[in-house]
Amino acid sequence: MRAAWNVAVAEWRLMWRDRVALLGLLLLLLLASVAALTAWQQRAGAAEQRARHQQQMHDEFKAQPDRHPHRMVHYGHFVFRPLNPLAAFDAGTDAYTGHTLFLEGHRQNSANFSEVRQSSLLLRFGQLTPAFVLQVLAPLLLVFIGHGTLAREREAGTLRVLLAQGLAPAQLVWGKAWALAGVALLMATPALAALGALAWFSPAPAVLAWGLAAVYLAWLGLWALAVVAVSALCRRGRDALLLLLAAWAVSVVVLPRLAAELASAGQPLPTRMETDLTIQRELAALGNSHNAGDARFAAFRQAVLARYGVQRVEDLPVNYKGLVAMEGERQTSELFVRHARTGFERQHAQLAAVGDWSFLSPVLALRRSSMALAGTDLQAYQRFMEQAESHRYTMVQALNRLQAEKLTLQTDRSSRDDRISREHWSGIADFEHQPEPVASLLRRAAPAAGVLLAWWVALGALLMLATRRLARGQP
Amino acid sequence: MKGAMTAWLPAWRQEWRLLCRSRLALLALAVLALLSALAVTSGLREVQRQQASIARALQLQQADAAVQAARVAAGRDAGTAAYYGFHATWDLPAPAGFLAQGLRDASPQVLRVRALALQAQLHEGETHNPELALLGRLDFAFVLVYLAPLFLIALLYDLVSSERAAGRLGSLLALPGSQALWWRRAALRAALVFAALALPVVAGAWASGTGMAALLLVLGVSAAYVLFWAGLALALVGRAWPSATNALALVGCWALLTLVLPTLVHLGITRAVPAHQGAELMLAQREAVHGAWDLPREATLERFFQTHPAWRDTAPLPAGFHWKWYYAFQQLGDESVAGRVAAYREALLTRQRYTTAAGALLPSVAVQTALHRVAESDLLAQLAYQDAIARFHERLRHQLYPHLFQDRPWGVQAQAAWPSFQPVAKGQAAPAAAAQALLLLPLVVGVLLAARRALRRVRARP
Repeated sequence: MRAAWNVAVAEWRLMWRDRVALLGLLLLLLLASVAALTAWQQRAGAAEQRARHQQQMHDEFKAQPDRHPHRMVHYGHFVFRPLNPLAAFDAGTDAYTGHTLFLEGHRQNSANFSEVRQSSLLLRFGQLTPAFVLQVLAPLLLVFIGHGTLAREREAGTLRVLLAQGLAPAQLVWGKAWALAGVALLMATPALAALGALAWFSPAPAVLAWGLAAVYLAWLGLWALAVVAVSALCRRGRDALLLLLAAWAVSVVVLPRLAAELASAGQPLPTRMETDLTIQRELAALGNSHNAGDARFAAFRQAVLARYGVQRVEDLPVNYKGLVAMEGERQTSELFVRHARTGFERQHAQLAAVGDWSFLSPVLALRRSSMALAGTDLQAYQRFMEQAESHRYTMVQALNRLQAEKLTLQTDRSSRDDRISREHWSGIADFEHQPEPVASLLRRAAPAAGVLLAWWVALGALLMLATRRLARGQP
Repeated sequence: MKGAMTAWLPAWRQEWRLLCRSRLALLALAVLALLSALAVTSGLREVQRQQASIARALQLQQADAAVQAARVAAGRDAGTAAYYGFHATWDLPAPAGFLAQGLRDASPQVLRVRALALQAQLHEGETHNPELALLGRLDFAFVLVYLAPLFLIALLYDLVSSERAAGRLGSLLALPGSQALWWRRAALRAALVFAALALPVVAGAWASGTGMAALLLVLGVSAAYVLFWAGLALALVGRAWPSATNALALVGCWALLTLVLPTLVHLGITRAVPAHQGAELMLAQREAVHGAWDLPREATLERFFQTHPAWRDTAPLPAGFHWKWYYAFQQLGDESVAGRVAAYREALLTRQRYTTAAGALLPSVAVQTALHRVAESDLLAQLAYQDAIARFHERLRHQLYPHLFQDRPWGVQAQAAWPSFQPVAKGQAAPAAAAQALLLLPLVVGVLLAARRALRRVRARP
């Protein structure tokens, strides 16, 4: 134990004297700090703007004058996708998804004004967040700093001397691994500080921040293990460097894109226009709710008349037009929900295909669990879209019910002139996004974290193998 | 002349033989060619998929148009026909689209519009998987910008230091023309890297019918980028560092130029040029459109006549609902946010301009901008599609209004006379892309001069 510690301390001393390593480390720390601060500001700015717009929309809805309820159905409402506080750590899909969604009757719109459509291609180079620094750059720097840790000793002949002096190979290897793990921990400090601040100052549940800290430390630890193992196995420092650089480039840069390319080619998504037209076709088979005389609503009319025990719609105690609007919205909304669900299922199937690659490229597992914990993955987006759709339905039906109950067939002649009091608008449109329960987020992050664990086991075994080789005197 | 030839050729042949002996180098070149071929093939397939999906959507739309025409034949009026009549617009991939997917994965390639307020329809999104978009595509632009430099680094990092380590450097430097030797070796490797990248592209261009100008531009950009990295490598490997240090320094430069600096520039641009006008124009436009229901109808029409005097001397509004009032306030809604629309567009164009300017310092950015311009999958292409939609929408209104304001009857003939969409003409972006690619030249010349300087100072001992 003591001996391993001494090895680590000696290694740190050496790094301290290596100006290149020190410069790289300083640059990384600087970049990570800039990333943490700007991502924090960026998220705060975006979240504040969306919250302000949301409040403005709520107020404007309530401030609408006396109107026909159906006019309010078309006036509709805007909802804004709130931004999870932990998006300041990992922005995930935020820039790739729209945040402004218009809710109205008869239609399901898309969330618009995503950053990806209003940015140049620079966005595709990546966004500077603490997650980006730790996912991509930190492992590269670990390779730079650590590739020679054992191979250098072997090249210089000091390895033989150390072992001859009675240092156990395991002590040597663990000492080197500790040294590198210490560097990794140092690299992570700005990001960890950002997470601590998020856990402390933001409403995000602290357990999620700790979860993020855990998966990123596991990720960096994984690279520390890999670097030491490869350095122990290679005859020359140069070989170790090239091997590790190749492994980094393949697993962090190439494979994620290859996986995405194959997934989107293998399971293409239908365009929105196709889905809209399919829905429209299915809808045509159901009937047109703007036209209360539509033949397809005949069965509905019979059922309503029977329910109220009257012979003619004029004798109903409620406004039949409002009832037809409600029935029409019920039918269309069912189709919207079904098609939206099928669409998201396809997207999840694409992601499952990508996930299969995480056994070759652990960064995919890291990204998956990181975005799940930060609440910025596809599932979080889907949750917003589904809640918004359900809100749209509730809102439109509340307005349709007002049409049915506050107007009669006699007073409901013109949607411009026949109005009801504006006092009905309050409370109808207010939208509050319900964040996902922490337990469910953790459950979602767990499988990917499990993959990281499997990588730990595999690399730990590799390191043990390397240690045994040293012990057998095959340096 | 003949003497020069005989002196020149064997030297190259000798280098070629030396290179062939390095199995790792050959393997690297083969892998790069494979990746480039993979990127080109999947790009070609993606273009085909896009074409097929547009064709499929248009076919569905035709079926819908037939339904609408039947309703018109049954006596539908102009206003109702326009209200329910959606029209397809589409944006086919450019012939060179296989090179760089760009924004096409996240923005619509088909969009239906009708003669109602345009701004409520123009910004509709497309179904796409955001997590996949976040991962990025393996297209040729990616292989060139990110991977080609790594392969060049692998081939060049120990150009000088390996000779030093083998103890041959002293005698090599003593020979006449030792500098030409470094250039020859580097040029051979760079040329092979270029060939590995370019051959699949030439085949892909042939298969996709890409124009000669576009192909030459892509090859020129690729060559310039390969030269840049070869020059940078030579400028660094001439120093008396050991091989590992060379590799470290070069990969460090690569990480800075392709990973770190572009993200910093992006951060700077988004902060300097905010683009929140988009959402705001939607909010303002809705208020303007729906507020019309609460205003006197005559006043609304009066405002409409101010900008459209052609319809002023038409019949006054009858009692009850009339479509001409409805379409007038829809158009007024668009006009009320014209200033915001212009500001939004200006913000996006400014972002694009700053990005292009960043290409003067960052070769990775210059290459991305030029390739995506020639592939017509960048922000400018997206804006061009939106312009085409706006022009088409204008024609829809133009066709509709006489029927509303002069109470001309609608009918099967009028329905058949709806204008059809004119898609953006593709395959003509090479000159604009060339202008952006020219930004690479000073950078390339700069590193080549630095390389010449560095190679003159090569010493046998550190």
